[in-house]
Amino acid sequence: MNVKHISSTLKTLFTRLVIPAVAAMSISAHAAQPLKIGYSDWPGWVAWQVAIDKGWFKEAGVAVDFEWFDYSASMDAFSAGKIDAVTMTNGDALVTGAAGGKSVMIMLTDYSNGNDMIVAKPGIKSLKDLKGKKVAVEEGLVEHLLLLNGLKKAGMKESDVTLVNAKTNEMPQVLATGDVSAIGAWQPIAGQAMKSLPGSRPVYTSADEPGLIYDVLAVNPASAKQRKAEWLKVVKVWDRVVHYINDPKTQPDAVKIMAARVGVTPQVYLPLLKGTKLLSLADGKKIYVKGPGFTSLYGSSKVADDFNVANGVYKAHQDIDSYLDSSFTNAK
Amino acid sequence: MSTTSKWLGSVDGDARKRTLLGIGSFLLPLLVWCLVSYVPFVWHPKVHVIDPGGVDYFQVDMLVDKTMFADEVANMEREHLAVPTGKSANPIYLPAPDQVARAFYNGFVNPPQSKDVPSMPASLWHSIQIIFWGFLISSIVGVPLGILSGTYTLMGRLSEPFIEFFRYLPAPAFGALAVAILGIYDGPKIAIIVIGTLFQQVLIIANTTRKLEVTLIEAARTLGTRNIKLLSKVVVPGILPDLYRDQRILLGWAWTYLIVAELIGTSSGITWFITQQARYQHFDNVYAAIMTIGIIGFGTDLILARLGRRLFPWDRTQDRR
Repeated sequence: MNVKHISSTLKTLFTRLVIPAVAAMSISAHAAQPLKIGYSDWPGWVAWQVAIDKGWFKEAGVAVDFEWFDYSASMDAFSAGKIDAVTMTNGDALVTGAAGGKSVMIMLTDYSNGNDMIVAKPGIKSLKDLKGKKVAVEEGLVEHLLLLNGLKKAGMKESDVTLVNAKTNEMPQVLATGDVSAIGAWQPIAGQAMKSLPGSRPVYTSADEPGLIYDVLAVNPASAKQRKAEWLKVVKVWDRVVHYINDPKTQPDAVKIMAARVGVTPQVYLPLLKGTKLLSLADGKKIYVKGPGFTSLYGSSKVADDFNVANGVYKAHQDIDSYLDSSFTNAK
Repeated sequence: MSTTSKWLGSVDGDARKRTLLGIGSFLLPLLVWCLVSYVPFVWHPKVHVIDPGGVDYFQVDMLVDKTMFADEVANMEREHLAVPTGKSANPIYLPAPDQVARAFYNGFVNPPQSKDVPSMPASLWHSIQIIFWGFLISSIVGVPLGILSGTYTLMGRLSEPFIEFFRYLPAPAFGALAVAILGIYDGPKIAIIVIGTLFQQVLIIANTTRKLEVTLIEAARTLGTRNIKLLSKVVVPGILPDLYRDQRILLGWAWTYLIVAELIGTSSGITWFITQQARYQHFDNVYAAIMTIGIIGFGTDLILARLGRRLFPWDRTQDRR
């Protein structure tokens, strides 16, 4: 806790306790506070760093404060109401909401396009070969969902494989021990797993089912309503980010910024970016329409909701429509 | 006196010998680490691929198991294809001393590329502040409470059962609650350090206080010393050297809570550095950071020990580390 924090805490205490009468003043002071957004280490979210470094939010006339978190810590902070918005998957938005941290997904950042994968040990070439074998996933998380989706497509059931629950971070070691035939993990962990067991390969990835996992910017419903004008500006900035990263001319600069944020070289980072399909506003508009299946954010969220209930992540189905508001993405 | 105590006694007395042994206690593990890292036949269960040869899935710089590598060499020889070459290596989780030393140097000399990423010294400084505030707040409550509990039976019986219970509760589990109350910045992190330290602190200090000779307190009471005066003139001066040593040990305790404390709220401090580097398997950086914590902790303790000898020249136990 540095002096600045203490003094700012004292200041808030002062404004709250000593001059509560001047309510109007405190409201205007509140509105002047920057939007606080929590982000974490996933290519689709590290992308915001480009806008931060380039000062695009200032240019757009919106004050934002991006705070870097560990993914699960960012959702905790959001649930506790300490930040206005957080970057997460559409499925986790439902999980966080079921636990009390309701949100509105105002826009899509990306979908996983190969970064999430089921990696099998050498000799296993497809999901069908996994019949009767052990597969390690972190139960209730996206890789579990990915596996079920793949099994279904291969005409198999969950009971056709034996699930072993393990921490995603430890999957490289789990696969290397040889006790399981396959593991589910996302990048960069999946890549490390393949490195530590040469000959192992992905048998099913999120590229086989685009839209299974969408990543979104989820905003506190009150903030989304009261400060809509500012959030609209944030959405506009995102469009600029996507174009900057996707343009071959500016991509190297963008990758350099993103790699520096997570502390690796651009060469190491580029493949991770390739496994993520960043969604421009135009892309987002096509996905932010009602419909069944994975080409719609509604459909994808419905699948996630069913999965969460089936696996006891939460008990009651969530009202998906209350989490979705396409007006931010569709605004002119 | 038996031979053993004579032996230990003579070593204890000789300052030069003691320094040498102290250095030796560091050199021995370092020597083991060097042996494991640099002498190929000691461990080296992997092969670092230099030239993949005809093996389709091998890549340059890949680490493969020794047996697998041998199999592939045999395969390639049988099929008359290019034989892969490589050198023995340790798993990625065990970098060699020189790699860690280089990472250590880089961490302090080269600033990070992104201006939003704090440098290693800045991260470290942030962590030190967390520890400082956590330990200070814990001590402000814990030291007086411990002394009171140790001096007055009533106070001890009222507070200690609950504290005994609470000290078993895992401090990190209060993370989410701490965030909800104290926000996302340093508040919850300091709170975890306090929760992790305070309860042990009260018990340890209460115990230390109880070890003060009863005759001293009885004599003071007979002479009419009461309450504040009893505490300030008899109890506190009597236990001060031991209290000081307890605090030194407890400070070390606070450091062990740092990593879990800093995982809460925004990523910051040396933990941010360690977890981020571990995620991308830069274990040289990870070990460099871990060792920096060791150096700081150990360094502070050395300084405090020296200070202790200055402050309490009459207390011979301060001489021992």
